Amino acid sequence: MELFEPVIRELRSFIVETPHARSWAGGPSRPWPRGGARNIVLKDDVGVELGGPSGESLSCLVWTHDLPCIRDGCITLIGPDISECMGVGGPLGKVVLVGVEGFTGENAYERHREMDLLRYDLDLKGFMIRAVSSRMSEWCRISRQAVRQGFSVQILGSSLMDLFRKKAYVKAVEVLFVTSSAHDLKRLESITESTARTISAMNKMAGEMRFDCEMCEYRDVCDDADALKKMRDAFMKRQQEAENAGN
Amino acid sequence: MRGTETIALCGKGGVGKTSICSLMVKHLAEAKGRKILAIDADPASGLAASLGVGVKKSVDDIRKDLIGKIKKGEETDLTEMLHMLDYELFDALSESEGFALLSIGRPEDEGCFCRVNSLLKDIIHDLAGGFDCVLIDGEAGIEQINRRVMKSVDHLIIVSDTSAKGVSVARTIAAVARENQAVGCRTMGLVLNRVRSEDEVRSIASNIDIEIYGYIPEDEVIRQYDFQGRPLLTVPDGSAAGRLSADIAKRFMK
Repeated sequence: MELFEPVIRELRSFIVETPHARSWAGGPSRPWPRGGARNIVLKDDVGVELGGPSGESLSCLVWTHDLPCIRDGCITLIGPDISECMGVGGPLGKVVLVGVEGFTGENAYERHREMDLLRYDLDLKGFMIRAVSSRMSEWCRISRQAVRQGFSVQILGSSLMDLFRKKAYVKAVEVLFVTSSAHDLKRLESITESTARTISAMNKMAGEMRFDCEMCEYRDVCDDADALKKMRDAFMKRQQEAENAGN
Repeated sequence: MRGTETIALCGKGGVGKTSICSLMVKHLAEAKGRKILAIDADPASGLAASLGVGVKKSVDDIRKDLIGKIKKGEETDLTEMLHMLDYELFDALSESEGFALLSIGRPEDEGCFCRVNSLLKDIIHDLAGGFDCVLIDGEAGIEQINRRVMKSVDHLIIVSDTSAKGVSVARTIAAVARENQAVGCRTMGLVLNRVRSEDEVRSIASNIDIEIYGYIPEDEVIRQYDFQGRPLLTVPDGSAAGRLSADIAKRFMK
């Protein structure tokens, strides 16, 4: 099932071509205390703020069955690390690249949603996240104390990867962070533009009551991707079965 | 909301709920290490000015925006909607030193969007859970808070001036709160505002079956602040209103 492979190839070129990209490969996850119930970071306690309404952000998730495409455990950072952003806000780009197995037209949408929601399970002391998937936007705040204690993209990335690894169908995972500039974020946006349309098409299919492809604004997206056609067929079949059961 | 103390202030219009709420926010926020959320649930929306903060958008703005999207058929699934509302509500917070303010706004266009209203209440509840203490500057009665802001509150503070009308409304609010099990407040008390003498307090206390938490004297400092439109956060602690409101706030500091 091929869907995001061209995007992953472009992302790989983007990383290679960006001179100031730093990578940490495959180390064990770094422990960080849990946040618990009061893990909200208010403005007067913010050490670093990335993305959000006042900064630019782009966050997405891409997956592939082609496992060698994914550098398992690798965290790449384009731009300053969290401690280097202390006291200032900045843009946030985040792409999670996942190597998966067993995705089909029947299960791909649910599994994509499952993986997309994993970020809300991050429970790291002094780290707060808000995100809207449909806008691909993300908003992170790190408290002053967490920054002083060494909170970094390695801690964030490895904690996120740990959550992904709990899913049996995830076989490899890597994370790309971009904190450098609005310009780099624009490049990332142009690379992942088709991802946004693909995900919107998937969301529309999932919420669709009638599949009128002639009228659909995502028809070109589906026409280009066999995987989406398979997903659409699966949704239509499921809906038909539900209707038959109702009759 | 484990450990979050939710306090609602209710009372007849014009008795000084907003001023007392602001003074309590000031004292609670000054106790370092605590996160305070102030919620302006009064359609008159005076709490922001009283706290000296601006309001970017209200919960009602978010609600209308979402209803507009639903009407246009842009509705997404429930989980996505919850995360979107959570993002928008956090963005709607006016953050200042030691506290954040959420403005509920005017319910001008009620409509029948029970699902949206219910979702918003759930999200406000979740958001409030991130704070140690939540103060709600409410309308006259507790039932409006229950309907528009939060399903339940821990403590109800009824505010009244010393007028017979104000005290009568206070009695009614207390009776409704006692009858309305859904609100479920654990404690309830009366704060008298603009008191001119202790005799007034004694007289009211002998005629009402609500515990009196304290009273705020008619204070020239507060009058001047109100007249000049200055935020009450800078009211000197040494002023009578500052000192006595601090005593009331101490009841709610763990």
